[in-house]
Amino acid sequence: MVSLLPQLILTGLTVGSIYALVALGFVLIYNVTGILNFAQGEFSMLGALLCATLLGWHLSLPLAALVAVAAVCLIGAAMERLTIEPAFGSHPLTLIIITFGVSMAFRGLSLMIWGADPYTLPEFTPGPALQLLGGVLVRQAMWAIGLSIAVVLGLFLFFSRSVPGAAVRACADNAFACRLLGISPRRMSLVAFTLSAGLGAVAGIVIAPITGATYDMGLSLGLKGFVAAVIGGLTNAPAAVVGGYLVGLIESLTTGYLTPGYSGAITFLVLLLVLVIQREGLLHAAQRRQA
Amino acid sequence: MSRDGWGLVLLAAILAALPLVAATAYVLTLLNVIGLYVIVTVGLILLGCSGQVSLGQAAFYGLGAYASALLSRDLGWSPGLTIPAATLLVAAGAYLVGLPTLRLAEHFFVLATLAVGIIVNVLMVQMVPLTGGASGLRDIPPLQLGGLRFTSDLHYYYLIWALALLALAVARNITSHRTGRALRAILGSEVGAAALGVEVARYRMQVFVLSAAYAAVAGAVYAHYIRFISPSPFSLYASLFFLIMAVVGGLTNIWGGLFGAVAVTLLDQVVRAQLPRVFPRVGGEYQTAIYGILLVVIMIFFPSGIVRGTLDLRRALVRVPHRIGTARARSPDRRPGLGDSPRPADGGTP
Repeated sequence: MVSLLPQLILTGLTVGSIYALVALGFVLIYNVTGILNFAQGEFSMLGALLCATLLGWHLSLPLAALVAVAAVCLIGAAMERLTIEPAFGSHPLTLIIITFGVSMAFRGLSLMIWGADPYTLPEFTPGPALQLLGGVLVRQAMWAIGLSIAVVLGLFLFFSRSVPGAAVRACADNAFACRLLGISPRRMSLVAFTLSAGLGAVAGIVIAPITGATYDMGLSLGLKGFVAAVIGGLTNAPAAVVGGYLVGLIESLTTGYLTPGYSGAITFLVLLLVLVIQREGLLHAAQRRQA
Repeated sequence: MSRDGWGLVLLAAILAALPLVAATAYVLTLLNVIGLYVIVTVGLILLGCSGQVSLGQAAFYGLGAYASALLSRDLGWSPGLTIPAATLLVAAGAYLVGLPTLRLAEHFFVLATLAVGIIVNVLMVQMVPLTGGASGLRDIPPLQLGGLRFTSDLHYYYLIWALALLALAVARNITSHRTGRALRAILGSEVGAAALGVEVARYRMQVFVLSAAYAAVAGAVYAHYIRFISPSPFSLYASLFFLIMAVVGGLTNIWGGLFGAVAVTLLDQVVRAQLPRVFPRVGGEYQTAIYGILLVVIMIFFPSGIVRGTLDLRRALVRVPHRIGTARARSPDRRPGLGDSPRPADGGTP
C-alpha cells in the first residue's frame, strides 16, 4: 500500500495556509481592539461568493478577485462603524456577542442572496496537478501556500516599516498613550477591521477553487482559523501562521488516520488543551520561556 | 413576602389557569417548549451574573437528554429516577469541565465552552452504537411518577412549568442573598471582590455547575416529553439561540430569562411562519439573519436587556440632567460590566 502520509501532509499544508490567513485576521483585530471577531470566517465566505458573482458578470478573474477583496474591505469597515464603534468601551463579552450576531446576519443574508447551492471558482492557473514527494498537489494549493506567505511578509513590512503600521502596533501596545500622541484608537480599530476583512476575503477566494463556495463556509473556516490564532497566542502574527499550518496538519492527519467524522472534534479538543495548558497560547509560552 | 415572591405566586396562578383558557395542542406544545427554554435561559443568566457567558449550554441540555434517555431506555430505570440522575451526571461533568476552564479570562472561557459544545455535538453524531448517530434515539419511555403516567401535553405542561417556577425561585434566592451579593461584586470587579474576601473561583464554579444542571434538567424532561432525540437540536445554533434569549432578557437579570424565552420563542414562530412568504425561494436557516441583527441591535442599544433597557431609556428621557452622581452613573476608570451600556466617553483605559 502506498503511504498516505505525504499526501496528508500536503493537504494539511494547503488547508493550513488558508487557516493561517484567517488566523491573521483574528490576531490583527484582537491586537488592536481586544475583540475576538467571530465574523472573521464570514469575510472569506463573502469574498468567495462576491468573486463568483463578479465572474458571472464576465469580469476577468484577477479583476473580479480584486474588486471582491475591495468590496469585502468596505463591508469590514462598515461592520466596524455600524456595530463595533457604537459599542466602543463595552464589556469585552458584549463586543464578542455583537460579532456573533454580525456573523449570523452575514450568513443569513448570504443565504437570501446566493441561495444554498455551492458556487465554484476556476483555478488561478489551470493545469495538471504536480507530483511532489509521493503526493499530489493541485496547482491552486501552491497559490494558497504562496499567498499566505506573501501576505505574512507584506503585513510584516507594513507593521515594521510603515508609519500607519507603527500606529496600529502602538495602539495594540497602549491605547491610552496613543491617544496622548494623537493617534485615535477608534481609527485604528477601523483600519484593523478593514485589513482583516481583506485578509479573510483573500483566503476565501484562494480556497474556493478547491472546496467550492457556499453561504455557510465561513463558520467552520472562522472557527478553525480561530483555533489557529489561539494556538499562536492571539497576539503574535507569525505564531498564528504556524498555528494555522498546525491546525491544517492535525485536521488532515486525523481525517486520514482516524474516522473522518471525529476530525471536527479533534481540532476543538486541541483548542481546549491549548486553553487549559497555557492560555496565552503554546507558541507564545515557548517564546516567553526563551526570553 | 417580597415583590419577587408575589410575582412568582402571580405567575404560578396565571400558569395554572392558562390551560383552562387555551388548551389546544399547539398552544400547549409551544408553552412546554417555552418552559424548557426558560429553565435553560435562567441557568445561562445565573452564569451571566458571575460575569461569564457560555456557548456550550446546548451541550449540557443535550447531555441531560441523552443521559436520561439512555438510562431509562437501555438500562430500564424509571424516568423519575433518570432525570435527577442525568442532572447529577451532567453537573459532575460540568464540574470537570469547569476545573481547568474557569481559571480562564472571560473571553477564553467562552471559547472553551464553545469547544466543549462542538465536541459534544460531534460525539453525539459519531458514537452511533451508543447514541444512534444522526438518526437519533427512538422509543424513549415516558415519565412515570408513582401511579401517574405522563402521557399528554397537559401533564408535561404542569411538570415543566413547575420546574421552571422552581428554577426561577432558586435563581432569585441565590441572586438576592449572600451569593448574589458576592456575584455582583465579582461582576463589578473581580480583583476588588477577591480583595474583600469573596472566593471568586468557588462562586464561579458553583454557578457554572448550577447552570449546567438547569440545562440538564430541561434536556432530560425534553427527552421523555418528545420521546425522540437526535443531535441536531443540541448544536451550536441551539447554544446561540439560548444566548439570544438570555441577551433579550438581560444577561444579569433573572426575570429576563422568563421574558427572553417567551419573546424569542414567539418571535421564532412568527418568523418561521412569515419569512417564507417574503422569500419563497430560500429554505433552511434564513432566520439567522434576523436573529443576528437582533443580537447586534440589542447588545448595542439595550445591553441590559429589552425590559430594563426600555425602562432606563424612559427614565433617562423623563428627567435627563439630574441623574449624574447616582448609583448608575459610572466613573470613567471603572471598566463597564456585562450588561452595562457602552461608556459615552472615548474608551481605552490606560
